Amino acid sequence: MARRPKIAAITTEYRKFSHTQHIVDRFLEGYGWNGRHHRPPMDLVSIYVDQTPESDLSAERVSRFPHLTKYETIAEALTLGGDKLAVDGVVLVGEHGSYKRNEKGQTLYPRYEFFKEIVKVFRDSDQSVPIWNDKHLSWDWEQAKEMADTARRLGFSLMAGSSLPVTWRIPSLDFPYGAEVSEAVCVAYGGVDSYDFHALETLQCMVERRKGGESGVKWVKAYRGDDFWEAYMDGVWSRELFESALCRSHTMETSRAGFNNIFPTVDEMKQMVSAPVAFQYEHADGLKCTMFLMRDLLQDFNFAAYVGDSRVPLSTQMYLPMPPVRTTLASFFSPLVNHIETLFLTGKAPIPLERTLLTTGILAAGVESLFQDHRRQDTPHLNVTYTAPEESQYWRT
Amino acid sequence: MKRIAVVATIYRHLSHAQHIIDRFLLGYPWEGRWHRPDMKVVSLYVDQRPVGDQIQERAREFGFTVYPTITEALCCGGSELDVDAVLIIGEHGEYPKNDLDQKLYPRYEFFKECISVFEKSGSSVPIYNDKHLSYSFEKAKEMVDDAHRLEFPLLSGSSLPVTWRLPDLELPIDCSIDAALTIGIGGSDIMDYHVMETMQAFSERRMGGETGVRSVQLLDGDAVWKAEEEGRWDNELLEAALSRCDRLLGLTDEDGRTQDMLGSGELKRIVEKPSLYSIEHSDGFESNMLLLPNGLKDTCFAARLKGDDAIHSCQIFTTPIPNVTYSASLVSRIEEMIVTGVSPIPAERTLIVCGMLESCLKSRHQDHVRLETPHLDVTYRSPETPQHAHT
Repeated sequence: MARRPKIAAITTEYRKFSHTQHIVDRFLEGYGWNGRHHRPPMDLVSIYVDQTPESDLSAERVSRFPHLTKYETIAEALTLGGDKLAVDGVVLVGEHGSYKRNEKGQTLYPRYEFFKEIVKVFRDSDQSVPIWNDKHLSWDWEQAKEMADTARRLGFSLMAGSSLPVTWRIPSLDFPYGAEVSEAVCVAYGGVDSYDFHALETLQCMVERRKGGESGVKWVKAYRGDDFWEAYMDGVWSRELFESALCRSHTMETSRAGFNNIFPTVDEMKQMVSAPVAFQYEHADGLKCTMFLMRDLLQDFNFAAYVGDSRVPLSTQMYLPMPPVRTTLASFFSPLVNHIETLFLTGKAPIPLERTLLTTGILAAGVESLFQDHRRQDTPHLNVTYTAPEESQYWRT
Repeated sequence: MKRIAVVATIYRHLSHAQHIIDRFLLGYPWEGRWHRPDMKVVSLYVDQRPVGDQIQERAREFGFTVYPTITEALCCGGSELDVDAVLIIGEHGEYPKNDLDQKLYPRYEFFKECISVFEKSGSSVPIYNDKHLSYSFEKAKEMVDDAHRLEFPLLSGSSLPVTWRLPDLELPIDCSIDAALTIGIGGSDIMDYHVMETMQAFSERRMGGETGVRSVQLLDGDAVWKAEEEGRWDNELLEAALSRCDRLLGLTDEDGRTQDMLGSGELKRIVEKPSLYSIEHSDGFESNMLLLPNGLKDTCFAARLKGDDAIHSCQIFTTPIPNVTYSASLVSRIEEMIVTGVSPIPAERTLIVCGMLESCLKSRHQDHVRLETPHLDVTYRSPETPQHAHT
């Protein structure tokens, strides 16, 4: 029998409902998968936690799982206290925790810094293993690009991203592989430099399957507040697609008291949504995509697109069972962890790194556009091209 | 445009009548667009007017008439039936309970008044009856017999069998089900019904269709865990059903952790009052419904088919409050019946579940004995096409 891989987790903080808790717990405790309580065939043996708030759970987990050791530095977590790399895979979760924000409102999560420390151990050991990085690679495009280039140069698999592309879809469907698409949207919620990343991944995991594959992104422009509504009325994006995506929501705010599920008029939406945000961008092959953050209108992630010759939008919801209000378990991390297991078992990333490199870049350009009075940002650097895997990767079994 | 009469117990925010009728008034999300039914609510009877009653404001805004009697609502004030369909929503409102802990909603009484109008008018129209037909099998049987006698389509039941499933599971029609287990939380008899009808929507797809129910037994408390030790259900099915939950309680609620609740023994520790509803069908098939209050908050299903090693399992997705889009799935079924004149789901499903539930509650009342149920000789075929939301 093959040796069970040893995994290290390099994280920002481990508390109830932090990404670290959702991800690391699944390695330690197992999780519901294909009708079983699945236990990953690997051991998460070491953890580094950058911050330990009062609600920290890492000490409790270490005490309950004897094979898990907490280390004071990233290097020690990777070498298990020795002098050479001693694990077979690294989980890097740089989400949540108290970190500074810059003038653009981006939280400076230390993913790049953690990554550099991990790579230093790889270099010093003259050996490297797969890394999975939670969410976007970095808040900064240059850092992200360097991370991707480093992985390629050192020849290890780097996988990253959101759980949105791999969670349940309601209805359960995928973008038809190789189909043409003229326009796509994601109607979502949440804040800038946060849930916008998830919404961009929602879009990208679908449209990357289009005819010709991914061609890169030429420009990105942000809309917010009044200019959002102007653009909405001017048809800068398809209202039909926006409405179709909205009709996949299970969490629409009710625009009128006494009702429970009512489709809002544009005037009602203006009343409800005080700070709507859109990032619109054009791919190199001409595809136009728009991502919407509609705080106070809904609380889920919904996709719609014109595919092929059909004028009936293809639409679905990427469903997040989201605690604590609606569930107790964030089960959308289960398919993500399952893909991470595949990365560690095979050494190959089932999810293309280029997807997350591109969404990282679109996000950074969108934030920049917001910062620069919503001016359009030309993005010749986002000439990220790749072919998506044909087999569907979302949760459907 | 089809004209609809509504007969309801109460109409206030988040009552079943409000959820269902509002969708006819305002439309609802369906297949990625806002669908507006090509039909109009023209008349309404409501039995109780609690605080928060919305009838007058709805009638004013949507232009229908509120009548003081069911007969007048169905005749729109005239002397004959004057609508194309009737929706009976006898859920919520203040009604007494019987000694089986069943709430005595007047669905049968509402229905019989409709039948009286149908008979006097010499014509009849489709009826949708929300949830179970009645707390009493005898009454429910009479309702279904009336529908057959007067030859009108009758649709009845809960939203749970027609909502989304995670994953999108449907058992193949005419499959051989080796064993099946449905878990939920229940709450007699109002919530139990939803879980039990969900179970039946799967069971009825077995080879030969529904053959009726021979006997039932309801166990509570320690007797349930004793039944587990005796192998009354397959624990691999329970593991599968639990693995589909997004709302486990106990340690998950405390610190967010995932749990093998069955393997760790935590399930038995935290579920103090489990209940097992055991149904023996006439063809020998046994279906089990396990209610696990304090253990979880989802409804999940698991089954093993003959000649197939895999366990088939899913969560029955009760979409969030207040949108409760699962009621949109139900309304689309009602609409289909009104448009086509054929009920997409046989009323016999609801009928047999009424009887299963009533007999289970009698079993509880009679010291949990197994009760023979020769009266539940209800046979029918499941619709071949999946009726749950999946598009």
